[in-house]
Amino acid sequence: MKIANKLGASVLALIVATGGAFADDAFWAEAAKPYQGVVLHGVTESTPPSNYVKDVLAPEFEAKTGIKVEIETTSWDQMYDKAIKDMEAGTGIYDMVYIEQDIIYAYLSRDFLVDTTQLLKDHPELKAPTYDEANFTTFANYFKGDKGDLFGIPMEAFIKVYLYRTDLFNDPEVQAAFKEKTGKDLKPATTHEEYTEIADFFTQWGKDHDEQLWGTTAQAHTGHPASWYEFFESVAPTYGVYSWGIDAGNNYAASVANGGTMNSDEAKAAMKWWLHLRDVAPPESNQSTWTEVATTFAAGRAAQGLVYGENAAWVASDETKSRVVGNVGVALPPLSDGVLADAESGKGYIGYYDGGAFGLPVTSKNKEASMLFLEYIAQNEVQPDWAVAGSRITNTATYDDPKVQDLDKKLNGYFTMLKDQGRLFAGAPAYPFHAQVREATAPIFYQILTGAIDPDTGLDQMAAKAEEELTALGYRK
Amino acid sequence: MQSKTLGWLLLAPTLIILFFFGVVPFLYVLWVSFHQWNPFAADPGMSFNWATNYRQVVFDAQFMASLGVTAAFVFFAVVSELIVGYLLAQAFMKDFPGKAIFRTIHTLPLIMAPIIVGSIWKLMTTPSIGIIPHLLHNWFGYDLNIGQSAAAAFIVTIIMDVWHWTPLVTLTLIAALVSLPPDPFEQAQIDGANKRQIFWHITLPMIRPAILATVFIRLMDALRTVDEVLMLTGGGPGSATRYVGVHIYKEVFPRTNYGYGSAISVIVLYLTIVACWLLYVSLIAPRTSKKG
Repeated sequence: MKIANKLGASVLALIVATGGAFADDAFWAEAAKPYQGVVLHGVTESTPPSNYVKDVLAPEFEAKTGIKVEIETTSWDQMYDKAIKDMEAGTGIYDMVYIEQDIIYAYLSRDFLVDTTQLLKDHPELKAPTYDEANFTTFANYFKGDKGDLFGIPMEAFIKVYLYRTDLFNDPEVQAAFKEKTGKDLKPATTHEEYTEIADFFTQWGKDHDEQLWGTTAQAHTGHPASWYEFFESVAPTYGVYSWGIDAGNNYAASVANGGTMNSDEAKAAMKWWLHLRDVAPPESNQSTWTEVATTFAAGRAAQGLVYGENAAWVASDETKSRVVGNVGVALPPLSDGVLADAESGKGYIGYYDGGAFGLPVTSKNKEASMLFLEYIAQNEVQPDWAVAGSRITNTATYDDPKVQDLDKKLNGYFTMLKDQGRLFAGAPAYPFHAQVREATAPIFYQILTGAIDPDTGLDQMAAKAEEELTALGYRK
Repeated sequence: MQSKTLGWLLLAPTLIILFFFGVVPFLYVLWVSFHQWNPFAADPGMSFNWATNYRQVVFDAQFMASLGVTAAFVFFAVVSELIVGYLLAQAFMKDFPGKAIFRTIHTLPLIMAPIIVGSIWKLMTTPSIGIIPHLLHNWFGYDLNIGQSAAAAFIVTIIMDVWHWTPLVTLTLIAALVSLPPDPFEQAQIDGANKRQIFWHITLPMIRPAILATVFIRLMDALRTVDEVLMLTGGGPGSATRYVGVHIYKEVFPRTNYGYGSAISVIVLYLTIVACWLLYVSLIAPRTSKKG
């Protein structure tokens, strides 16, 4: 009898569940009816989360709606070129564009994007029962306009974390050698001095043991903006230099003389620290962007490093790509005194909270059909597998999924850190002149990296150049 | 009269296409170059600023530096391609085992998109995984790092360009060599001329038009090199390989400095025309006037 009851309850649960699924499927089929034959075009950066959209979510959506979705995954530079040119010229090629968190302010200032909240209010027939803005984590706030409406549907969010090799850090022989050399126990660094000691130690260890091992990664490309970003978004903040050293509340001052911090003593100390790390990092570091840094770590060539979270999952769990599976630990970046307190109080932050969203260009010719697709990829139901594939979480409920919790164990608590301590990290400052200031100052920055200019002089020149550019752009009066 | 009209009619589609895809964009760039225009400025609109952008170009140290490295790049790349291309063309004039296969393989780089060429060379020159640093280290103890050494990066971009474009020179020169009449060579041999004399006094003058056409094409191409260098070095280390094409790309696209970037483009176009004209008057015009 009990068995019969259990069986009956199971069948009932199955009916309810499948009934729900059928109901959802019915919504997608019904809502998509006016858009049969439509082909949506999107452009995004080729990253694990974006590739998942292209390879898994787009075909799923097409199967349920009949609307074909073509996602173009390309390099970061090309993605911006294509999206901006399309929206600027009003050609309407793209129905969805990837918006990295740091470019949203520029796009909003140009009114490039559709207000998705308003669009759903105007077209209630498009509102999926499984879509709710409240499902998103607070990362979605970066994509909201002045009135709190959403201009981009979050599709990835992660923090740039301190990864370290647990197999090396827990090796008794290594621990003993480190203790002998430094008089300290080997554990993840919490200060810059500790980090340097560990980096120097492992680089020397690699040389002494004829191993392809270095003490740290460094995203220090001498001709690509990735190095500029590593410094201003991940390194400088750990020294208390926030918002690229530009004070938006003080007439966009960058130089110390005018009230900025781009060439402050802290910024100069940060630069010297980072340049030293670059010198003890693997030789490919001065050709490394964000992708190569993850690859270097996954190849087992570095004992520790600051790595974008989007790569954390595959580095820690994909044996076909990574040699350090099961040996990856995560920690907060090393910090100067006072930085953690700044982050706790909201005055500063300890590192970069990166991510992006899909936005609807106002120039799109298929806004309604695109909105359906964006709602589809924002559902709680599709999130767990996506999180496992791309170590990204944008919906609060995803943290509780068993698959994500399993991966969290393999990642030594990366997702837990994202959930509990993500608030200590921050996205890029709300500047509409993001790429312009970067490109104006980057040539000087690269000269610092090559040693053509010393760090102090270089940062002084960069601060002056940033102010000159901001004046030319009309932001600085 | 009728045949003249027919001639224009037949030419019309080409002229229309040229007008819309060549002349109109050029006029647009010229128009933009007289404006202050950055769509992400506080005022994103276009504002006419006379010749301010052109004046700025003259005092732009970065642009001047990029012109300098570009001139060096173009000189070494084009001269190398010409020499290697000629030697290969001469080699292909002879029969040897596997000639057809070798000629096909040799032509393959030509059909590759520049961005792919850049990717291939990036993979081959990255210190941790690249075959070239690996072999140089094992054979000569030299650590190639184009992210660190400006000279190494500069040389590698030239070698990459030579690898990519020499087949074009080879094919053009093969066509020229094949079309040469045998009589002058036979007469020279009868008169007792040696190989060097035959090359200087017969072969070279006779293939001069083909050489000049190739040099013009390669000169113009090399001056606008962007994709492969951008992929390989990003213009670095520092500004060591920030050739004018890369410089313009970075001004116009990431920095969205449309007005100023257009002015640089017009200046570079002007310099290209001047370079080609100088080449023409120094190598072709004197001969033509002598004949006249």
